[in-house]
Amino acid sequence: MADRDHRGFEVLFTCPLASGLHARPASKLAEVANRYASECTLTNLRNGLFANAKSVLGIIATDIRHQDRCVLLLAGADQRAASKALQAFVQEILPQCDVPLIDTASLSRGSTLPRSLKAAGVTCIPGVAVSRGIAQGEVVILNRMSLPQKEPTRPGPINSNDELDLIHTALSTVRHQMVERLKYSLTPVGSAVLQADLAMASDVLLLEKLTQQVLSGNSATQAIMETAEYFVDLLGHSESEYIRQRSADIEEICLQLLEEVSDESPMPSIQLSVPSVLIAETLGPQQLLQLDRRRLKALVLEHSGSTSHAAILARSLGIPTLAAVRNARLLFAPGRQIVVDANRGLLIPQVSLAVQRFYEREQNTLDLRKTAWSRTLPTESDTNTNSMEVAANASSGEEAMVAFENGADGIGLFRTEMIFLGREEPPSEQEQFAIYSEVLRAAEGRPVIIRTFDIGGDKKVPYLDLPREENPFLGYRGARIYGEYPQVLQTQLRAILRASPAGHVQIMAPMITSLEEIVAFKVAVEEAKKTLASDGIAFGSNIKIGIMIEVPAIAFSLDRICREVDFFSLGTNDLSQYFFAADRSNAHVSSHFTVRHPGFLRFLEQIVKQIQSQHKWIGVCGDMAANLRNLPLLLALNLDEISVPGAEVHEFKRALSKYDAVDCQKILERALACKNSSEVDQLLPLQPSRQQEPLISEELVVLGSRSQTKEEVIEEMVDAFYVANRTDDRHLLEEALWAREDLYSTGLGFGFATPHCKTNAVTSDSICVLRLKDPIHWDSVDGEPVSVVVLLALRDSESASTHMQVFSILARKLMSEDFRHSLLQAETRTAVTVYLGEQLGTTFTGTVGETLVPKSPVQPQSP
Amino acid sequence: MRIVAVTACPTGIAHTYMAAARLEKIAKHFGHEIKVETQGAMGIENKLTESDIRQAHIAIFAVDIEIEGRDRFNGVKVIQVPLQEALKNPEGIFTKIQH
Repeated sequence: MADRDHRGFEVLFTCPLASGLHARPASKLAEVANRYASECTLTNLRNGLFANAKSVLGIIATDIRHQDRCVLLLAGADQRAASKALQAFVQEILPQCDVPLIDTASLSRGSTLPRSLKAAGVTCIPGVAVSRGIAQGEVVILNRMSLPQKEPTRPGPINSNDELDLIHTALSTVRHQMVERLKYSLTPVGSAVLQADLAMASDVLLLEKLTQQVLSGNSATQAIMETAEYFVDLLGHSESEYIRQRSADIEEICLQLLEEVSDESPMPSIQLSVPSVLIAETLGPQQLLQLDRRRLKALVLEHSGSTSHAAILARSLGIPTLAAVRNARLLFAPGRQIVVDANRGLLIPQVSLAVQRFYEREQNTLDLRKTAWSRTLPTESDTNTNSMEVAANASSGEEAMVAFENGADGIGLFRTEMIFLGREEPPSEQEQFAIYSEVLRAAEGRPVIIRTFDIGGDKKVPYLDLPREENPFLGYRGARIYGEYPQVLQTQLRAILRASPAGHVQIMAPMITSLEEIVAFKVAVEEAKKTLASDGIAFGSNIKIGIMIEVPAIAFSLDRICREVDFFSLGTNDLSQYFFAADRSNAHVSSHFTVRHPGFLRFLEQIVKQIQSQHKWIGVCGDMAANLRNLPLLLALNLDEISVPGAEVHEFKRALSKYDAVDCQKILERALACKNSSEVDQLLPLQPSRQQEPLISEELVVLGSRSQTKEEVIEEMVDAFYVANRTDDRHLLEEALWAREDLYSTGLGFGFATPHCKTNAVTSDSICVLRLKDPIHWDSVDGEPVSVVVLLALRDSESASTHMQVFSILARKLMSEDFRHSLLQAETRTAVTVYLGEQLGTTFTGTVGETLVPKSPVQPQSP
Repeated sequence: MRIVAVTACPTGIAHTYMAAARLEKIAKHFGHEIKVETQGAMGIENKLTESDIRQAHIAIFAVDIEIEGRDRFNGVKVIQVPLQEALKNPEGIFTKIQH
């Protein structure tokens, strides 16, 4: 900031946002600028374009992209204050006010038609998948909303004042509608989109242009049409695809205004009467929100890319959406059934029998995989332990969604700091309510522990006036600041309580050091309940209150604290650095003082024992839980739950089911007797899971398959791998099998076929068996149809493993008539599994000579 | 007749071993003595020794790929067939070598 001269102040900045200064951050910038009377001009130094920074439309028309140098020039009575506020905004708020765009590369990947469909002669139309999912529906075509060609004739001369009134009323009605829509349970992303729209409808430039038009003698209708044309032209010529797409937003707003000032409706309104796929050139966010969501199954857009507001909204509402489908509106007759596969990025115009069969199976596979993951894995062999739940850490609805897709038993830690950071005012109750409700809905009844804001330390926000501290981690943070900001805490507690009827919520306080803090926190919760009750707002009963264990002091008054709280969660990051008085980021001290230090493990053991002797619940949510190698220690500590990164939940569950509780107990005993962290390190197995799956399991046996072609059989078997969680990349596995199949048929005669491959698309070596109801053609050596398919998949990295030996035995056995006969006759999936196990010398659940926990781990050297 | 054989297929996971089992079975059926070396994903197994090869009347290669140690068979009558042949029509192979 420079006090240039008497003419004004300057604020220089470089655009930090990867997708440029687009509508949503622009609306925030304009909001700040509008608080001051000073004139505020924004200039993009790259292209010389400048605009009034109080206008969202103006700002986005300057086409500011990532790394563009820009300057804000302020002139007026309050220029000093304005420049200060804007300086703070561009430095602190702007870098954080982008909603990350979804990686479109990962979304659009694929767009290859499944083999079985290709073989059945099915055609497809590729598109860019901007919101994942699969759906079928009847085609409904939305023709481009268009500005009327000529003004409807109106009698009488034009009175400018009347026309201006009309425009003002229309603007306020449209804004009011948007505000109303904002109130209804939208996702945070959806709200941001609507906010940006609202900012445009409130834009000073828009009003200025409309007024100008009327004062030059135009009617309200004409003024709106001219204004729309002006902005569409202005934004439509931008070099940035993102900004060009905003012209659709402004056009939609103008159409809404037109609707208000005239009797005729230029906005085609769509009533969906059956499950539908809506095809449009593009779609405005308001228009999308008006549609009946129960019947809108999928969207197909001709133009909009992944950054259009329609696409962003579709993602947040979970509507499968394909974009960039050229001439889509001309390709289909209304009423026709089509399939939108936004997982593969394609559209299937004809729902033939093959297509129907494929997608029925696909849906079934996706459902099965979901339930397979959410099933608790421990089996009969681990009756005594391994009941430890695997929950996930999350800080947004999207993250929670990922966690539950991976089979999380709950959210062990929902961090709320992200909601509070990067903004000028604390989040409103309504905004927080929407976020917490979204998480609780995603949880579908599973427990969600919401931790109240942990601000202070290294996390600062402008609206809490926290002192600069010499030693922030030993200072004023977490629950310690709640006394000074009771209103911020009340707002959050009210939002959590209001959301509580949507699920199973628990509230947790961070950075608790004393009993007094706990009592004060509980009083605050009661206060929030009281005000809600007096406002007549419902909230769940029996909501559990817990605390983080981060400060060692708390461990020495657990007997009293257990009487006050329902549960505890170990925050091992802070707990270990306070325990050792060693900064985790300081390499000089951090390497020796780790969570695996025997001293720290003894400390944890003591804490857990004390808490469990009082019959209270305890979990762990720190980084200690996120490391798979620590799992034996945590299991032996007998914790009720570990909370890990959402995407890795299934990995932890799988590993968990493999550990033997007694072995883990022994490891912990040895660890407690070690001298230091490195000795403990040696006790822990390096590579848990992998290769630990049995070669064959019941999930990999399919009996009575109704597949009709070789392509379908292979797809069905690959699906079985997917459901059994033995592959994450079905396409890669399928291609590997076909690469071998294409050399020459694996039909070996006698009605048997053995497709096989070596690929790391499988997570462990596996045998999969499929028996067909009706034999099919496989191009076998003896020309006979095939009724039993034995698929062998070997990982590529493992050289000459014991499993290969089993495969070679199996290959030889297939030449024996008795063996084939038995496979053909075995009545159940279990019978097939057991028979193969016996014949191949592997057991039902285990593989040859491998266990996860080494039987005789390295002995620590005695002191 | 004393026969030695080598089986090898592109991936070395399944067909190498199936063909070996098949050749062993059919040879027995015809009253021949056979030893089959497999060259698969586990490397060379049941390796043919110098004396195995020296004493053999004929060598059968049921292979789809170049095998290792082909020069060991210099001076022995070799009949080479695609591996599939050993699955499709092993009897045919033995009928051929008897003439």
